[in-house]
Amino acid sequence: MVAVKRDDPADAQETTTVRRKRARIPAIFFAVTLLIVLVFLFTMGNRNFISAYNLNTIASYAAILLVVGLGQMNTILIGGIDLSVGGLMSFISVVFVVSLKTIGVWAFPLCIVVALMAGFLNGNILTRIKIPSFIATLGTGGIMTSLALLVSPLPVDAPASTYGLLEIVNGTTLGISHLLLLTLVAFALFYVILKFTTVGRNIYYIGSNIKMSWMSGIDIVGTRNIAFVLSGLGAGIAAIMLSCNQYGGDPTLGKVYILQSIAAVLVGGTALTGGTGGAVNTVIGALILSVMENGMNVVGVDAYFQQSILGLVIIISVALTFDRSKTATIK
Amino acid sequence: MPNNVTSKSSARWFSTSATKGQQLFRRSGVGGQLISLIIVMGIFAIGTKGKYLYWANLQVILSLAAIPAIIAIGLHQVVVLGGIDLSVEGVVALCVVFVGFLAHNKFNSNDVGLWIIPITVGIGGLAGVINGLLNTKLRIPSFISTLGMSWVLWGLAVFVSKGQTTPLLDSPLRGFVNGYVLGIPDLALVAIVLFMIIQIIQDGTRFGRYLYAIGGDEVLAAQAGVKIDRTKIIVFGIAGLFYGLSALFLAVELDSAQAITGNNLLFPAVTAVAVGGVALTGGIGGAKNAALGALIVTALNDGLILLNVNPYAQEAVNGFVLVAAVALTIDRKKLGFIK
Amino acid sequence: MTAKEPVLELRRITKSYPGVVALNAVDFAVYENEIVGLVGENGAGKSTLMKILIGLIQPDEGSYTLRGEPIGFRDPASATRFGVGMVFQDGSLVPNLSIMENLFLCHEMGFRRFGFLSKRAMREAAYSVLAAVKVSSDLDIPIADTTPAVRQMVEIARLLWLSKLYKQKNPILILDEPTTVLTESERETLFSILGEIKSQASIVLISHRLQEIVENSDRIVILKDGKNVTELAAEHVSISSIENMMVGHSFEADRYREDEQVEPGKETVLRVQKLRKRGAFEAIDFSVRRREIVSLVGLVGSGKEAVCRCIAGLDKPDGGSINLGGKKLPAGSPSEAVHSGLGHIPIDRRSEGLALGMTVAENVNLLVLDRLKVAGFISPAREKKNAMRCIEECRIKSPSSSTMCANLSGGNQQKTVIAKWLSSQIQLLVLDHPTRGVDVGAKEEIYKLIRKLAHDGIGMIIMCDTLEEDIGLCSRMLILRDGRLVREINCPPYNKPGPSDIIGSIV
Repeated sequence: MVAVKRDDPADAQETTTVRRKRARIPAIFFAVTLLIVLVFLFTMGNRNFISAYNLNTIASYAAILLVVGLGQMNTILIGGIDLSVGGLMSFISVVFVVSLKTIGVWAFPLCIVVALMAGFLNGNILTRIKIPSFIATLGTGGIMTSLALLVSPLPVDAPASTYGLLEIVNGTTLGISHLLLLTLVAFALFYVILKFTTVGRNIYYIGSNIKMSWMSGIDIVGTRNIAFVLSGLGAGIAAIMLSCNQYGGDPTLGKVYILQSIAAVLVGGTALTGGTGGAVNTVIGALILSVMENGMNVVGVDAYFQQSILGLVIIISVALTFDRSKTATIK
Repeated sequence: MPNNVTSKSSARWFSTSATKGQQLFRRSGVGGQLISLIIVMGIFAIGTKGKYLYWANLQVILSLAAIPAIIAIGLHQVVVLGGIDLSVEGVVALCVVFVGFLAHNKFNSNDVGLWIIPITVGIGGLAGVINGLLNTKLRIPSFISTLGMSWVLWGLAVFVSKGQTTPLLDSPLRGFVNGYVLGIPDLALVAIVLFMIIQIIQDGTRFGRYLYAIGGDEVLAAQAGVKIDRTKIIVFGIAGLFYGLSALFLAVELDSAQAITGNNLLFPAVTAVAVGGVALTGGIGGAKNAALGALIVTALNDGLILLNVNPYAQEAVNGFVLVAAVALTIDRKKLGFIK
Repeated sequence: MTAKEPVLELRRITKSYPGVVALNAVDFAVYENEIVGLVGENGAGKSTLMKILIGLIQPDEGSYTLRGEPIGFRDPASATRFGVGMVFQDGSLVPNLSIMENLFLCHEMGFRRFGFLSKRAMREAAYSVLAAVKVSSDLDIPIADTTPAVRQMVEIARLLWLSKLYKQKNPILILDEPTTVLTESERETLFSILGEIKSQASIVLISHRLQEIVENSDRIVILKDGKNVTELAAEHVSISSIENMMVGHSFEADRYREDEQVEPGKETVLRVQKLRKRGAFEAIDFSVRRREIVSLVGLVGSGKEAVCRCIAGLDKPDGGSINLGGKKLPAGSPSEAVHSGLGHIPIDRRSEGLALGMTVAENVNLLVLDRLKVAGFISPAREKKNAMRCIEECRIKSPSSSTMCANLSGGNQQKTVIAKWLSSQIQLLVLDHPTRGVDVGAKEEIYKLIRKLAHDGIGMIIMCDTLEEDIGLCSRMLILRDGRLVREINCPPYNKPGPSDIIGSIV
């Protein structure tokens, strides 16, 4: 059957009647089911998988991925993508450690501000130079990677005198690690923005139908800028958390997170084309990836095979959750 | 009635109001890129007081650009379709590892001699076909299907090679890979030959028409009768063949085979494709764009090294050039709303 | 008219959709070497009939005979192989391929030499094929850079060439509104070419420009409400008689709820002065008062759509001013227009009116999120409340407020769009063919909504699918022709002008 190009409004009747007969299961159900299945399988393989210690390990890994993923999610929801998160994370990581030595606790807010500015830069380049986000962020990512290397070509350790400050992330309060608390706060922030603010809602409208959004008076430029600022924020917080965890900064630490953050967002059921998905989806996605990463180790899957299985899982997950009825063509 | 070439009215998504100059520029396909290349080389020639243009350096540029060019030529056709192929690193990793396993090497007694060429290229092509099937039959967007494949194949490569580095011995190709013909590196000649072959296919065969039709408007192309799935699978397959070939060359160049050989090949290849003028939205750009793009990026980075620019600034410069190149050559009317 | 057998014949074709019968036992025949003009208002069934002709959709009942043999097409590609093809308004040429490449796309077998395409052979063939349609452009320019006139000719040439390729005698070409995008001289050329092509093909011409139909067809077929009205020879027929046959329904005063038509208020909400846009319209001056429904009427090419686009901020006019509620509206900015209180119901609800992937609640609340907040955050309770209110007020048939809009029928989708604007504080609403593609029941409810909007004090500009709808709904009608405002008619309830009064000014 040939897809019909003519979008004659008069056709609307026929196609929507047909569509009404299809019930669509929200992507999140597939994602959650997959997660449960994975947890089940790994537990079968090794009881220790669900031990408190192991779950904590998973959580720590997932935390970083989730935070940068939550940032990335905004740009994907609005229909774009942020390939600069890796470079930004690397940059923030070294700037953070270096500035800890000189300005102490002020390193935290400084890095947040820098991250926000980087996001703002991304958004503006997109709008003023009018190039697709894929290219713009690929470029800015390269610039930030360079900046990271220029600040510190080699990994730099945090001096022991600053360990006290690192407790902001590394410590525990009432038995709960600060890392998890911070992640929870980040999740709450992004969740609230998306669900309960006009800007967040506009991100969905634009991702779903940018033309309609424009015609209805939504501020496309402003919303897009904020989406990229949020992405920068996510990357910045994740970088700070990671640097604290590792007691040092590393100008190459971000690279792996570029594709991982995108995978976390997509695997949870957010569409690459934008408009559907959200914070909860990203949580599930980050958990799936982290569970995979950890579970394969615990169960004793050949270390070398793990990457392959991870690849299979993301293919399967997106295959299940991608809504094919939305687009006439798959690219 | 004379039908004028330039249009004036606006009928929805047809791009309009292209001036005569813009059209000629666009028609050559590489006008902007050639000018950029000349400018870049000119700047470096001045900056290095001519050393940049010494034959020895030009040879270096050609030999360094060869493999990225081959990869870019493979990759760009997927982009012309409107998709993206992120599987480069995984395919190369797997192919390299097979080279390490089957060619004359230190760890086992295999030695398939020159058969290694079709074997490696074949594995790459097979991986590409699988990418194509995932995209067309399972209807998975190419971003994820190729990304996932990359991970799958990379893991497979590490698994098969047990993470080890396999030294290669006396490859019959070694002389070729490191050799020169009339001063031009053999690999660069291979890249040139491959570029010409693909360019001719794109310009002069039905397959070429279908490729651009799908990139231009997939729905209309299907209506006109173009076999979408078949064309896409072939395009992915060709890309895989090229990745396989590059893997072979890389392994022989390094005289060793390890899974991480393929790392860091993807982003430079995507940059080369974009800088060369291949539109991310599809339908525009050919082999000449991909090859030129790789040449420009290599020439740029070579110049930076000669000028003793801080090596860490390299990525930043690449980033600037990428943004500038796309900003100048992108056809904004076709994009409509920028995403 | 000869008594020969028709080349193509559709008999008693019936096609229904839920809630509407698009075609009711329609007969349609095409004879050899003739130009048939097909006329009818929007919704009369022309496009449905043509889609059946080329195999895009299948009829529920009826027979289709081609050159004496019964036939059925699965898709347009097979129809083309039998010499039946259509040139759509938007065109089906791939934009980045050249004229020559588009001409022969997917049928280049004959040009193959050792696996490669012989450019020379293609060029020779292209020149001769295009000579018939008088196209002498450079063959290598991408289609996107050519004029609509050239594109149309290329499509016609392609259809003719394909028929020759498949050895089909007397192919049938359907042209859907071919002259909408053509200049005066291009139109003349088109019709002279059609006159020449007639000797080897038949042409079905669909157009709203009755002048063209009368001048260029041999025979005219009129459809109304999905049924045949009549068929006449084009000689000696007057345009107004055709229009009357197209339009004259039994006029039901109730249908458009005339009794609910309110008296326009005194306050002016919109004032348009000296508005002009090169190539579209000129010297447009009018105003809209509160509670007033102003209908813009005119044929395709009259400029009414362009005027509305400028008012809504979607396009920039070349001169003139638009004042909303006393404030001047900056040109070309939909967001300024919206924030000043101007609403717009677009013609294409799916691509311009709704976010189909989002829920009914999310769509209707789009403009009023600020009002639904508690302590600065969107309140789900308030959202739901507003959504339920909209659903009830506008009678949107939806399982719940969290149903995805894609799952609603066309009529309910349209009501959702209207509800979105109803929620917000607008002073003026522009309605672009609000009942297009909507079933009868939903149409009635939309009329009711329009009356309510007027009652609530909102001024409206409306463009309808049928003249009758325009007359029935509006308080005042502005007639445009060739980009100018030519006449203004009052349409008070119970004293409405008849279509025949108006037609004269339109054509």
